[in-house]
Amino acid sequence: MTAARIPAMMALAMLVAACGPTRPAPGIQGDPERGKIALTQYACHSCHAVPTIAGSKVFVGRPLDDMAERRYIAGKVPNTQANLVRWIMDPQAIDPGNAMPAMGVSERDAIDISAYLLSQ
Amino acid sequence: MVLTLLGAGLIGAVIGLIVLRGGFYNIAATQQHYPLIYTVFEEGLQYSVQNHARDIQVPEGLGAPAQLLRGAAVYKANCIQCHGGPGVAPLTQGMSMQPVPGPLVDADVNWETRELYWITRNGIKMSGMPAWEYHLSDNDIWAVVAFVSAMPNMTQKDFRRMTSTEAAAATVTQGEAP
Repeated sequence: MTAARIPAMMALAMLVAACGPTRPAPGIQGDPERGKIALTQYACHSCHAVPTIAGSKVFVGRPLDDMAERRYIAGKVPNTQANLVRWIMDPQAIDPGNAMPAMGVSERDAIDISAYLLSQ
Repeated sequence: MVLTLLGAGLIGAVIGLIVLRGGFYNIAATQQHYPLIYTVFEEGLQYSVQNHARDIQVPEGLGAPAQLLRGAAVYKANCIQCHGGPGVAPLTQGMSMQPVPGPLVDADVNWETRELYWITRNGIKMSGMPAWEYHLSDNDIWAVVAFVSAMPNMTQKDFRRMTSTEAAAATVTQGEAP
């Protein structure tokens, strides 16, 4: 009983941890799984509610649960992956005065983060 | 019945010990909490702060212009590194902490003014939030609370202006605000 429960619990834990896309949606570049972790290392989830990432209720940035459906980024540019990568790396370049700071995200990390957001 | 309960408790304790001593729990800061655990901790935090801050009196006239300027200087010196501000990123240390320190522009949604004072003064265990009681004067703690409370009405430009070096220098010559 005891011996059987441990693997069962670990399997359950791994299942919960594996939530979220693991493969990019068609036409999307990058590694969503890596992007999910990268997203937390640049504190995206400190301002944005992100599905499958535990966090406080925040009311600063918009929730990021429907990025694949969104047509515009910040109401300024079409929501293509290339534009989303530009936005993540330097929001001010697209929308000066926007409260979202440039978080110093590298291009590789921005591609993976966008892959995660666009593959949900 | 009692034996069953005891047995279940014993099995639970053994499993707990195996998980603990086996090192199976991943303590890495890249590994996020499970949502349920995060929510339980956060609820506990909310109730604890509410309870401990209940008798604090907020000074009258909090948020006078000179005090806000002093608060901006204190914020720049001690808070911006982890919390950032409108249009201003925190340092990398603040970004990749677990739990993430988060923005303060919406702090007034979650906390009363007296609670912000309590958190700033006493810190929060296991979260990385330091206690400032022994490092800042009481006036400065209230000043930074006043500044954080005023942040929701600031644009990125306002925030940068108030936390600029010239603004901070002007405050120092004025001394501490009441």
